[in-house]
Amino acid sequence: MDAHNETTAAVLDGFPASPARRPAGWLRRVSGDRAELIRYWPVVQNMVAQELRVRYQRSFMGFLWTLINPLLMMTILSLVFSNLFPTRDNYSLFILSGMVPWGLLSGTVVESTNCILGNEPLIKKIYVPKLIFPLVRALLNLVTTTLALGALFVLLIPLGARPTWPMLLLPVAMGLLFCFALGLALFVATANTFFRDCGHLVAVFMQAWYFATPIIYGVSDFPEAIQWRFWLNPAFYYIEIFHNILCDGQWPGMSLVATAAALAFVSLGIGYATFKSNEDKMVFRL
Amino acid sequence: MPRLSPTKTRWFFDSKGRNRGVRRDQAETDRPLIELRDVSLKFINYADKTFTIKRAFLQLLLRRQKPVPDSEFWALRNINLRIQRGERIGILGPNGAGKSTLLRLLARIYPPTTGEVSVQGTVAPLIEMGAGFNIELTGHDNILLNGAMLGFTRKQMLAKVDEIHEFTGLREFADLPLKYYSSGMYARLGFGVATSIDPEILLVDESLGVGDATFRKKATQRIRDLMGRSHAVILVSHEMSSLRELCDRGVWIRDGEIVADGPIDQVVRDYEAWTKLAQSA
Repeated sequence: MDAHNETTAAVLDGFPASPARRPAGWLRRVSGDRAELIRYWPVVQNMVAQELRVRYQRSFMGFLWTLINPLLMMTILSLVFSNLFPTRDNYSLFILSGMVPWGLLSGTVVESTNCILGNEPLIKKIYVPKLIFPLVRALLNLVTTTLALGALFVLLIPLGARPTWPMLLLPVAMGLLFCFALGLALFVATANTFFRDCGHLVAVFMQAWYFATPIIYGVSDFPEAIQWRFWLNPAFYYIEIFHNILCDGQWPGMSLVATAAALAFVSLGIGYATFKSNEDKMVFRL
Repeated sequence: MPRLSPTKTRWFFDSKGRNRGVRRDQAETDRPLIELRDVSLKFINYADKTFTIKRAFLQLLLRRQKPVPDSEFWALRNINLRIQRGERIGILGPNGAGKSTLLRLLARIYPPTTGEVSVQGTVAPLIEMGAGFNIELTGHDNILLNGAMLGFTRKQMLAKVDEIHEFTGLREFADLPLKYYSSGMYARLGFGVATSIDPEILLVDESLGVGDATFRKKATQRIRDLMGRSHAVILVSHEMSSLRELCDRGVWIRDGEIVADGPIDQVVRDYEAWTKLAQSA
């Protein structure tokens, strides 16, 4: 019956010794992932482009909705808060410059919670690096945020928004925030694959974080003695950069940008490490 | 039981990203296309896949054991396999032996629990039709998306679109979202895209029953053409006659282990003898 067992054994013996390979360190993984992402970049492009198209094809007013939502929010908040704090001038611009970048952060994180579970049919049928799912979510949010920021800024020109030189720094600020958000997204996507109720917690957490970050209020509304508490909030640095650039038209401080970059690096590092060390187990958990 | 080595699972996959300076044909001639070294794959049947923080917390708090423990199942055990260029391999075995799992492992869908899998070159998995389709998108867009997942750029795929339409006969539906396709049309499109590329390694799973009789005939012919063009073919099937015809090496798998590996005629003969024996017993 097992007539060919010898053959198998012979094949086994004929195996050359495993060639000495460098240990699978993190540097190797990063470079491997880089190669994979380059190879699969058309997939990422396709997914982003087509998601955008589907999103805007099917809804009646398409892209306008992404504008109307923050616009309405801004109007409401402006009306309410300019009555509460009449001292603040140009409140709508202030709100815009905080809320739109926050949209990038919270949108990326909240949408990423479900990105592995939601793509289960794909993951189980064909190989794609799982890294691309959070990446696609983040890129999608980056695109919509950039568009919304541009369009809303143009709309606010009558209200006193003026293009200034520091705006040249906007791509850097966006890039840093993107990296920070992607790091969190990777972490959250991993956590939600193993603990399915993470999504709910994340949504609540993001809501709380929103109110803990100076977006609808300014840091200066607080007494100087307790302002340092905002430094504990990682999102504060990013929002502050956007406030500086868009609202005040100033160059953000060097230390502010450096802190934001460091935080982005840490977030991306933790997110990536978490994701990669659990990546192999994900398919069995779906 | 396979031993659990302390080392992490390692993948070596020489896609186009690496070895860029070296000419591919020079670099790879001496290495087998596919090499599985002592590969085992363990499935854990989680008692509940919807594990939540809440439950983890309760378990910790109440020091309660899981009501149903997770059970383990070795789908593949100590698989050693080297596949050289030009080999046509037929995998046979009873249901649940691990044939499809092996294909999925080669397609990188499952990572091995222990051991090493090294696959050189592009892989075309004909394992499941229409994998990676997005039903919201049109047929045309899905061709491009699926092509991208198989490792082809937009430009390369655009050159193939015409030929795919020609083959599937779905040209007039190209601008229709996939959700309005019938299941037969869906499968045909999936088949058309997956077989339109020129892979180095072709993985084919048996039940490729796509569409009506005429289409099936066309499909069979197309798979044979593709087998002729690709460097290595791995075919999983229950039909001994087609295995005999298409393959030159047979691998018999039972309970996740390789029972026999040799010339296809011999392996098929032994397998058939064994099934007869098992049936009469």
